[in-house]
Amino acid sequence: MTDVEFVRAYEVVGSDFTNAGRASTSIKETLKNMGLASPLIRRIAIASYEAEMNMVMYARRGTMTLHVTPADVTIDVRDEGPGIPDIPRAMQEGYTTATPEMREMGFGAGMGLPNIKRNTDGLVVTSEVNRGTHLVLQVHVG
Amino acid sequence: MSNTVQAKSAAPARRSEPVSVTLEDVRAAIGADVIWCPDLTAPVAGVVAADLMSDVLVDARPGYVLVTGLANVQTIRTAVIADLSAVVFARGKAVPPEVLELARESKVPVFQSQRSLFEAAGRLYATLAGRPAEAGERPET
Repeated sequence: MTDVEFVRAYEVVGSDFTNAGRASTSIKETLKNMGLASPLIRRIAIASYEAEMNMVMYARRGTMTLHVTPADVTIDVRDEGPGIPDIPRAMQEGYTTATPEMREMGFGAGMGLPNIKRNTDGLVVTSEVNRGTHLVLQVHVG
Repeated sequence: MSNTVQAKSAAPARRSEPVSVTLEDVRAAIGADVIWCPDLTAPVAGVVAADLMSDVLVDARPGYVLVTGLANVQTIRTAVIADLSAVVFARGKAVPPEVLELARESKVPVFQSQRSLFEAAGRLYATLAGRPAEAGERPET
């Protein structure tokens, strides 16, 4: 990898369970091609996948923007959706507002945000009810 | 970045212990049918059994086999994201065509077992328990 910064955006469509996870798979492939270490890529991919599934499950649509520098990998996740009324509660393992349909997809167990936090070095969550949610996930490379 | 790349390429040399469990061992232990697998000699690091993919993302380590009753594309995507070595669909779950297509495309070996999730997991635990590695243990987080 060079010192040049890399930026790529991925569109995510709400309720599109067929394509859910494609953006994170693509992000993982991109980081692999850059030569990052496998354990680091895996952490980023897991966090990215959970964030992507959250958008597919809850939001109308959203964007994930991958930003890579020699020091950090950052994914900026922004959606248009219901928002999160109580962020501290949503950060607790097991707390969920998922529907049976979401659970049938293997998600919605209340592990999304905790899993993202576990796999990142930095996580900032901001949200406005009935507008949307904004996550910034960061993993240190160096 | 060059340090990271060097560390990655040096890693296999440090892990010189013999691989004792393969996908063929997993297949034989539960009498599974091979749906798609290009290499039955591929190594297996452990097993995780779950229907909730978020739990898999927490519990699995790279190289684990996932045993599950959830037969949809998210199962394969989870295997790709978490660097799993294969997916076993338990309870004789039919593998939908789009799942098989994604598995081939993503190079994720797929097996099907008629056994229940409980029995498949139990047999695999017994198969892997004989070796000293981390099989069956919950990884530290």
